[in-house]
Amino acid sequence: MEAAGVAAWLDEHGIDWIRTEGVSIDGLVIGKHLHRSKFVGALPLGNAITELVFGYDLGGTPYLAWWDDWRLEALGDIHQQPDLDTLVVSPDRPNTAQVLCNAVNPDGSPLPVCARTVLRRVAERLAEHGIEAKAAFEIEAIVFRESVLDARGRKYRNLTPMSHPTALGYLHYNSREQMAYIDEVLQRVAALGIPIEGWHDEAAPGQFELNIPPSDPLTACDRVVRIKQVTREVALEQGCTVTFMAKANEAYGNGLHVHHSLTRAGEPLFYAPDGHELSEISRHWIGGLMATMAGATSMLCPTINSFRRMVGFAAAPTVASWAEDNKSAALRVLSTAPKSARLEQRVASGDANPYLVLAAVLAGGLAGIENAIEPPPALAVAGWGLPPEGWPHLPNTITKAADALAADTNLRGVLGDPFVDYYVNTRRWEWLMYHTTGGDPVADTVTQWELDRYFELV
Amino acid sequence: MAGGVRIEVEDDPTPMVLILAATLRRAVRTEKLADTLRSARGSVALKSTTDPQAATIRFADGTARVERGAATDADVTIATDVNALSDEHPPKPKVSGAARHPKLALAASKLLEPPQDSWQIEAGRFWAFCAGHPGVPSGIRVVCRDDRSEITLGSAPPEYELQGRAHALASLFCGNTVLGQEVLDGKLYAVGALSHTAELTGRSIAWMLGG
Repeated sequence: MEAAGVAAWLDEHGIDWIRTEGVSIDGLVIGKHLHRSKFVGALPLGNAITELVFGYDLGGTPYLAWWDDWRLEALGDIHQQPDLDTLVVSPDRPNTAQVLCNAVNPDGSPLPVCARTVLRRVAERLAEHGIEAKAAFEIEAIVFRESVLDARGRKYRNLTPMSHPTALGYLHYNSREQMAYIDEVLQRVAALGIPIEGWHDEAAPGQFELNIPPSDPLTACDRVVRIKQVTREVALEQGCTVTFMAKANEAYGNGLHVHHSLTRAGEPLFYAPDGHELSEISRHWIGGLMATMAGATSMLCPTINSFRRMVGFAAAPTVASWAEDNKSAALRVLSTAPKSARLEQRVASGDANPYLVLAAVLAGGLAGIENAIEPPPALAVAGWGLPPEGWPHLPNTITKAADALAADTNLRGVLGDPFVDYYVNTRRWEWLMYHTTGGDPVADTVTQWELDRYFELV
Repeated sequence: MAGGVRIEVEDDPTPMVLILAATLRRAVRTEKLADTLRSARGSVALKSTTDPQAATIRFADGTARVERGAATDADVTIATDVNALSDEHPPKPKVSGAARHPKLALAASKLLEPPQDSWQIEAGRFWAFCAGHPGVPSGIRVVCRDDRSEITLGSAPPEYELQGRAHALASLFCGNTVLGQEVLDGKLYAVGALSHTAELTGRSIAWMLGG
């Protein structure tokens, strides 16, 4: 939709209010509720919002330990430029619409740390190679019976999962218990124009998984952002609680696996008929993903808590690895069916910003084809429970992952120094905050600090 | 650092581990404290009384190795409010094990409170560490509010000014405190751009963590 057509669209749908939806570096949905006169008047640049939304951490502490060129002295304003193709009537509020936004400077130029923009640029660079990507996420979350207020009162501990307390998965008995909640989620998601392939009860008590069909990269991430927001809002209204924390308790964690496929002139690039070798471009793509996996881990596993999920034999991959249809590998290759030939990146946790997850994955693959990187041999064993020596283990702390990203010239080459420098600083800051504001340095289970910081927000 | 002395940290150290290692490195700049470290034997745990921060220093053969957590087998355990250690009148720590290991307890207390030079000398060291770092101002005027004495670090005219009492200035420049926090707490005043305060705060954190 063009800006000139917005007023008519608002008239047609009886809209008085518009909710602007930007996404912070930590994946928080941020914005304003604007009266239509203000919204229309601010087009095409979009409404102003303090640059502090990219300048504070999940605990609300300003990042006062470095500065970035894009920042404005004394907390000036940036703008939320609406992507009018995402303008949609809100399914749960009368006379209201909502729109996803990119963060831009006052002159309209893109903010280099806007995650949506970072992904869009990677997709554009891919297009320069004549390659089109499609992606689809698997969203995992855990629902508890307690209201948000109750959960806060209990410090997010000893909550009642909305399912049988045994870790099974795929149990229709559990799905039935979640049905009233999920039905409302599905209804609102459908009203937002988001298709769902399916959903099921997942392994952790109270856990479910939603599967979205493949789409272009930006749309795939927009859908995740909106679905996560809907699940939170429905939980608020129905008096239950949902979390996307990588590890909210001792049960299985929440992942955010992402599938992606590539085509050039309509030809599926990852397709290798059974018994045939992967094409050169597939090899190089996988080579790039493998070469950048340690650095990408910082974006796939962004919090202190993310790394509690990455332990041996707990379903999450811990070794940089790839293999054909092997779910213990970090990168699962599914190459034998032309219509569904794809790669599944299995490292990302539920607390990750989807735009950054996909940007890291596509940037790694791009670096692979641009630098003709050959992959190491495919994993020939189970990737779980491997010894610390002799295997390329992924970084297992937020600092090691940040160091790997800081040193990754391939990812820097695609994502750009301004973004990587800012992002690495925010992860080192998260480490500092954990250790100096109450996190236990020797805890091997989820700490109160993590629950307080992440349970509701990530 | 004096010869024959080594200070090691664990893999992927915590801030407290890095801070203790940096403090020990400052201590052994003096030959007397380097001797103290060389002769120290045993383990000393430092625990925060206000949060879970803790670390253990193991002394042996001229080496101090710092690791996260308070070791249960530590010979001496010091419990204190680690966030108040740089106060002008810091709280008295609670020490256990000193009766059985008096030499080690005394050595630890000396090594963990290395002598501080005047704020001007400490300022020179800090400036040598951060001058030229991207975003750091080209020059800083530092004004002591006790006696209005001042120095300029870097090139004149200074782009940035810091004011504070001598103790607060010395604590910042020797790496015991963080600029942004000190400004927030009203112990230091900053006159200049927010971007400079942010970069200098980042440098002061890096300095505190050992550079």
